[in-house]
Amino acid sequence: MMELLPQALTDGILLGGIYITIAIAFSLTYGVMHVIDFAVGEWIMFGAFTGYYLNKWTGLDPFLFLPVIFVLYFGVGYVIQPVIHRVLSGTKGNPFLMGLVFTFGLAIMFRGLALTAFGFYSNSIPSAFSEGSFNLEPLGLTVTIPTVRLVGLAYALAITLILHYLLKKTNFGLGVRALAQHKDAAGLMGVNSKRTGSYVYGIYVGISAMTGVLLGCILSIGAQMGNEYTIFAFFVVVLAGMGYLAGVPWAALLLGLVQSIFMIYFNPSHTLLAVFAILYIILLISPRGLFGKGV
Amino acid sequence: MKFGFVRVLLLIAALFVAIPAHAEQRNFFKIGVITELSGDLVTGGNITKRGYDLWAQEVNAKGGIEIQGKKYPVKLVYADAQSNPAAGAAAAERLITQEKVDFILGPYSSGVTLAVAPVVDKYKIPMITGSAESPLIWKNKFKYTFGTIPPINFTGATSIKTLTEMKPAPKTIAIIGSNDAFSKATAESYKAAAEKAKLKIVKFSIVPSGQDMTPLLSAVRSMKPDVIAFGGHDEEHVKFVKALKQIGYTPKALLMHCGITDKAFIDAVGKDGEQIFGTTCWTGTAKTKSKVLWPNAAAYAAASQKAFNNPGDYTQGGCSAAGIAFQTALQKIGAKPGMDEATRTKLIAALEQIDVQTFYGRVKFATSGEFYHANVGLDPLTVQIQSGQVKTVGPKASVEAPAIYPMKEWKSR
Repeated sequence: MMELLPQALTDGILLGGIYITIAIAFSLTYGVMHVIDFAVGEWIMFGAFTGYYLNKWTGLDPFLFLPVIFVLYFGVGYVIQPVIHRVLSGTKGNPFLMGLVFTFGLAIMFRGLALTAFGFYSNSIPSAFSEGSFNLEPLGLTVTIPTVRLVGLAYALAITLILHYLLKKTNFGLGVRALAQHKDAAGLMGVNSKRTGSYVYGIYVGISAMTGVLLGCILSIGAQMGNEYTIFAFFVVVLAGMGYLAGVPWAALLLGLVQSIFMIYFNPSHTLLAVFAILYIILLISPRGLFGKGV
Repeated sequence: MKFGFVRVLLLIAALFVAIPAHAEQRNFFKIGVITELSGDLVTGGNITKRGYDLWAQEVNAKGGIEIQGKKYPVKLVYADAQSNPAAGAAAAERLITQEKVDFILGPYSSGVTLAVAPVVDKYKIPMITGSAESPLIWKNKFKYTFGTIPPINFTGATSIKTLTEMKPAPKTIAIIGSNDAFSKATAESYKAAAEKAKLKIVKFSIVPSGQDMTPLLSAVRSMKPDVIAFGGHDEEHVKFVKALKQIGYTPKALLMHCGITDKAFIDAVGKDGEQIFGTTCWTGTAKTKSKVLWPNAAAYAAASQKAFNNPGDYTQGGCSAAGIAFQTALQKIGAKPGMDEATRTKLIAALEQIDVQTFYGRVKFATSGEFYHANVGLDPLTVQIQSGQVKTVGPKASVEAPAIYPMKEWKSR
């Protein structure tokens, strides 16, 4: 069975790539706005269906539409954010809890809306990348890498690097980091918290929607698909440390590897149990995530 | 104050006495439908809804169910089980105690059916599920629950047998099932049939529902099985085919039970769906004859095409057949809407006795043994997707087209 190890590691890393794409922007928006957006899976679902229909109507590869989808959903997020901001800046009750309830409600509403608009069938987004795979033969062992999953990993790394650059090397990023640290102090230093929050939420919704297209090419799409991605986004972000962006790729890769290795070498029916167990153990040892840098 | 409280209690008690436990006067049959209209199993739930709706539509178009010379229309009252057994059980309680339905048309999934069945037993309300197939339902011997689709352990063996008759005969098989009541039972039935057929089982795994199975399939690929058999639901079928294609492994035969017979699956996977085998007990081209509602399978498929732009699959057909079974039993005992407990008990006896030819084939419920109250009147079929159509390729008596074996490689399609 050891001859399967290179394949298990490869599959785990590629699966981790998918988890990065789901969780990275989710982590960003938590870090800045301090809202756990339970609608993350639904933004992914909307993006997937947008890619599906654009491909169906034009016949062009869905990856070509990623920039269009980003711009479109950036706009949607930008417009919606003030509403969430208002819920979160309430002075009565518990605004954090109200934020949770609000996004949970959004998720349910979006699911119902999608069911009405897109129907109940599962579908798939065809892409030129979905067709092939290539083999590597290290030490005489065959390792198959599906092209579309490799594209997914590349996309995940690109998004991570772009976000890293944006946060660390630009004035906008400086404002975002200041806002994440202390909203009032950032405001006193001239950071427009409302507008910056809108940009961040727009970026998050845009990235999530693009991720939907990718997932539609690798896996499948359906009006109810969002829920499972919301759960995984949450796992990854908790494991990485809430709001600690740099931890997301490592947490995602760890989850992917655990899942892959457990599926191959142990009982596949207990895969999720293993994932939960590792999450709990890590949180017991380090409640602020893998690197102890979460909120 | 004390007197007032006692008066309120007396008033409530009087109301309970005044309103009979269940019976209600009305001139139509009020039928509860519990199915998955949201959640992970929303596709299957809506397919069952189509089946029940088409039956109700056809009955009402003919004026209703004729009982002793008078026609009673049917009215369906839906409750969403949300793909969640607990929500299904709560929905059953509501339909029975608040809506006071005459009887129930049951859920899509076996998991929800297993949660609803004890509730209908408790309230003594007859239920027929037009979809659920897990053997567990029938092994529990729920008195008030029936099913029109034969259990998977009744049908699954047929496809394995068909595959063993291919030339050159497959020698090895990998079996994977998703971890829900139906899919697990499907995988187990394939396992039992493969053991009986002396196929070497190189892998048998049950995986959590909805998971990415690529790593597991990579392991399966290294074992080079001739046949891969999978038990799952619609979305998982799509993911499974894509994962196999992505890792570049084409078995000689891929068997995926009955979800593949829906046109939507063929549309979703396109040319990758070609030559996939499935197990079913009905297709739109099945040679059936009936005097109730639709004369044969083709007429039903045409009606479905007209109503939903989809010819319907075995689940949808099973749901419409469930309506016909109730209709036949009601006519047999002359039951009118607003049935009391005694009439509902008679209805159970009538359902146990009916033996009716429908567009779906014969409906005859077993009255004892491991298939208690499941329909054992049908013959299982092995089907294969060929040029975008579902063709029956086994058993020999029902063959529409010869099976294509081995499967064409993914990359040369």
